[in-house]
Amino acid sequence: MSSVSATIQEVFNEPGCAKNQNKSEAEKKKGCTKQLQPGGAAGGCAFDGAKIALQPLTDVAHLVHGPIACEGNSWDNRGAKSSGSQIWRTGFTTDINETDVVFGGEKRLFKSIKEIIEKYNPPAVFVYQTCVPAMIGDDIDAVCKAAKEKFGTPVIPVNSPGFVGPKNLGNKLAGEAILQHVIGTEEPEYTTPYDINIIGEYNLSGELWQVKPLLDELGIRILACISGDGRYKDVAASHRAKAAMMVCSKAMINVARKMEERYDIPFFEGSFYGIQDSSDSLREIARMLIERGADPELMDRTEAIIEREEARAWAAIAKYKPRFKDKKVLLITGGVKSWSVVAALQEAGLELVGTSVKKSTKEDKERIKELMGQDAHMIDDMTPREMYKMLKDAKADIMLSGGRSQFIALKAAMPWLDINQERHHAYMGYVGMVKLVEEIDKALYNPIWEQVRKPAPWDNPANNWQNRAIAEMEAEAAALAADPVAAEKARRSKKICNCKSVDLGTIEDAIAAHGLTTVEGVRTHTNASGGCGACSVRIEEIFEARGLVPAEEPELDPIAAEAKRRAKKVCNCKSVDVGAIEDAIHAGASNLADVKAQTKASSGCGGCAERIEEMLDAAASTSVPATLVAAE
Amino acid sequence: MPQNADNVLDHFELFRGPEYQQMLANKKKLFENPRDPAEVERVREWAKTPEYKELNFAREALTVNPAKACQPLGAVFAAVGFEETIPFVHGSQGCVAYYRSHFSRHFKEPSSCVSSSMTEDAAVFGGLNNMIDGLANTYNMYKPKMISVSTTCMAEVIGDDLNAFIKTAKEKGSVPQEYDVPFAHTPAFVGSHITGYDNVLKGIFEHFWDGKAGTAPKLERVPNEKINFIGGFDGYTVGNLREIKRLFNVMGVDYTILADNSEVWDTPTDGEFRMYDGGTTLEEAANALHAKATISMQEYCTEKTLPLIANHGQEVVAFNHPVGVKGTDEFLMAVSRITGKEIPEELARERGRLVDAIADSNAHIHGKKFAIYGDPDLCLGLAGFLLELGAEPTHVLATNGNQKWADKVQKLFDSSPFGQNCHVYPGRDLWHMRSLLFTEPVDFLIGNTYGKYLERDTGTPLIRIGFPVFDRHHHHRYPVWGYQGGMNVLVWILDKIFDTIDQNTIVPAKTDYSFDIIR
Repeated sequence: MSSVSATIQEVFNEPGCAKNQNKSEAEKKKGCTKQLQPGGAAGGCAFDGAKIALQPLTDVAHLVHGPIACEGNSWDNRGAKSSGSQIWRTGFTTDINETDVVFGGEKRLFKSIKEIIEKYNPPAVFVYQTCVPAMIGDDIDAVCKAAKEKFGTPVIPVNSPGFVGPKNLGNKLAGEAILQHVIGTEEPEYTTPYDINIIGEYNLSGELWQVKPLLDELGIRILACISGDGRYKDVAASHRAKAAMMVCSKAMINVARKMEERYDIPFFEGSFYGIQDSSDSLREIARMLIERGADPELMDRTEAIIEREEARAWAAIAKYKPRFKDKKVLLITGGVKSWSVVAALQEAGLELVGTSVKKSTKEDKERIKELMGQDAHMIDDMTPREMYKMLKDAKADIMLSGGRSQFIALKAAMPWLDINQERHHAYMGYVGMVKLVEEIDKALYNPIWEQVRKPAPWDNPANNWQNRAIAEMEAEAAALAADPVAAEKARRSKKICNCKSVDLGTIEDAIAAHGLTTVEGVRTHTNASGGCGACSVRIEEIFEARGLVPAEEPELDPIAAEAKRRAKKVCNCKSVDVGAIEDAIHAGASNLADVKAQTKASSGCGGCAERIEEMLDAAASTSVPATLVAAE
Repeated sequence: MPQNADNVLDHFELFRGPEYQQMLANKKKLFENPRDPAEVERVREWAKTPEYKELNFAREALTVNPAKACQPLGAVFAAVGFEETIPFVHGSQGCVAYYRSHFSRHFKEPSSCVSSSMTEDAAVFGGLNNMIDGLANTYNMYKPKMISVSTTCMAEVIGDDLNAFIKTAKEKGSVPQEYDVPFAHTPAFVGSHITGYDNVLKGIFEHFWDGKAGTAPKLERVPNEKINFIGGFDGYTVGNLREIKRLFNVMGVDYTILADNSEVWDTPTDGEFRMYDGGTTLEEAANALHAKATISMQEYCTEKTLPLIANHGQEVVAFNHPVGVKGTDEFLMAVSRITGKEIPEELARERGRLVDAIADSNAHIHGKKFAIYGDPDLCLGLAGFLLELGAEPTHVLATNGNQKWADKVQKLFDSSPFGQNCHVYPGRDLWHMRSLLFTEPVDFLIGNTYGKYLERDTGTPLIRIGFPVFDRHHHHRYPVWGYQGGMNVLVWILDKIFDTIDQNTIVPAKTDYSFDIIR
């Protein structure tokens, strides 16, 4: 297990991960193994995360080493699509039994690998570790190594047993597995200046195929997609790509960043959800390839295709705009889709009334804020009652969400459209956007929603749960309005930190009693934000509400203070600090592109671009006199 | 290979053997005046064109593949719904064999029915003797409590007077004077099976209520709190009537099901043959007069019966085979209003479950186009349900639907944005439907077993809902009424949609990238 924990530590130190970078040393040590709240309704495990990340590799045999539970429940449960081999869909498991638990399951695993290679002869076998064999000490790394030597077929250990942490950690451990055992182990037959990798894209519902024709048309070759519709040999040779696009912001950042580090493959974080995002991504791919030696005329062709595709998509969407006028959407989804879908929906003329950011990184949240302006409601935990109220107040006509929230939506009498993986339609690219709009239109206008919203016609409207809930909420509000003491008590009892169960009053008291000015201070005194850390934004808001700017502990020594100021990280992806950017500006960088070229800042996810622009503006305004002189 | 006793092939396989294929090919070539295959193909393709459709719809006299049956079939359907009653069809014997086989093939149950077996001499001299002998034999052989007399065309053409014939037969001692022999004239050349149902039902109530053809005093109506329920001609009568009884029991409603054939067409296999089983008792049939109101589930099956009942002082309410949430809401609310009984939480929950199920699956049905054919009320019920699901009942066709019915369907279309591109076809047949399926294709077809030819010719997947369903077993045991019934119809539709998706993605290494576990 030591190698697993070492890998996990490495993942926790991933500099490309904004969340990690916001953490103290002590926190990093603890890692992002956010301890799931015992008794809470939890998401998937690390095994699941690893499996879904690699399962879309279509020509390898995915062998789950464990009791039937792990493969039995995850067998072929994602709508990824393959253009060729279907072996990835075959459920392989060692299905270990009681005897194996007592005597160890390594022999069974070895035999299973042998049988797979004999009977199916795949280019590789991926072996997934699960909780039980991990606990009894089966060393899958050793078994895989022995099997590889014996049979001559790559056998890749994916060491991500469920108990090490959540699904997201599993995604990253899967990434580590292919970094360690697959990427760079083979050479492509040939390379071109137009070879790219797409990382963190799973070809769900075949949506990659909606974008691929455009890349084909441009002569851009997807050397490897990790992992949607992927082939083992492609991934093994992916280290020869000229550039990479990172699609899902959290899942595989380590793969993208380490490939940049090891093989000098620059990457950017982009999305093909939405028209603008698709265009931006195509441009960025072209720009990076040109930077890496492709013919600059690629950009002209890219622009031409963008113009054509945008016009087509807009024309197709235009007819829906009148139908979407004044329609409001509540978006509940995680990760990259939060912000990319927000942009897409706004293009279709829908108004967004809120979004959940449960799985989104801080940058995702920033982007949502940027896209939606100040009105963004960050709805982390909505009860059906609150959801219904939102609907009732005509604030939302439809909810877009993943497969699990649909049920809450329905019980809360809200129309719903699935945009996560268990869906039938592909929404990527320009055509995907049109498809999404079409589906939203269907969902908005499906007659069943009227039934969903209405109680049975014989019901006494005063007595249905919806009205009771509203009445209760109103009564509570009225009672509080009439009773300032109770109101204050209610205000203070609002839960800020769910993990550690800390309410607003406790935090306010701590701030007042100890003169706190930082989130860290609050954490030290109340334990709030000591869990998943998602509430640190809310704590910052508390400071703002109290007229306090969350500040660093004051540094008395001016030199140390300056050093601290300069050491503040601006770009998390590329680990670039204030000082480096200031130096670049002093050295003549006058725009974002220059700064990017000189420091690499903002060449990852691009989330810090705005901050750099601000720094450029500030520098420009202080140097106005000099410019004037020069002009004279 | 010819048939081999060690491995007997059924006809699916047997006639694919080379010697049979050779024989069939020779027969075609030598004796069947074969046409140029290219010409056959050209005509086949031409029959799919709008030009052909126009000619097809200009057809005046010929009916091709009718979607209706004859009055006497409906007559038998109604008659077996009464306690120990045997339907007696005055006319030719062959007709009766048809009704029996039709029902047996649909319900997978024996179907008892007798005929007066008129022959050529009866056609010349009248069927009185057949009536006299027939009633006597029926009464003595099968010991029914009631004999319900209806007619076939033969008796109608020569103008046999049932009233007089039955009177004479009783005078001649065929059956006792006070014995119940209600009757109805049910010529096949008028209306359809739903008309025959209506006529027999009306005949039975007239018999019991209005003085048994002058042999007894008319009944005096003494209103009570009960309600009468009439299902109409319904292929799902077994499941539906049981479901209706459950709904009434849950609501605490005091009711009489009139023409309750749900038992006789679903008798258990336990060693006892039941020629009769269940059914509305004769006493109940008579006492139905006193009920507060009568509800008919199928307006076009009770066009004459309901006015008769209304004339006796009852409130009458008619539905059009309601399927789904709204239809069931309206039905239950009418029951609730009439009886003063509240709709209990149990049914509200069933309703919520149906709404939930529809919402869960709506994306797969939304915007799908359907063609429907069947009896007028069933068409209305199904079209209403499809609109509720966000589907489009693009073609709605009833061979036995009239203009009044068409207007009602059009009104239904007008009530929903999903009905805007839909059309109703009264009085058309399945050959018309065939043209429609070629020129204005739809995603799915809803109809009875005969729709399988349309499915084959046009490639439109068939969802079997209607009567008769001969080639799929036991669907009649499931209700389509009530929220549970709506759930069944929803599932049948969804099953076909998903089967179709699977079929469309099933070719290995070609289309199976979308052959998914989760739909």
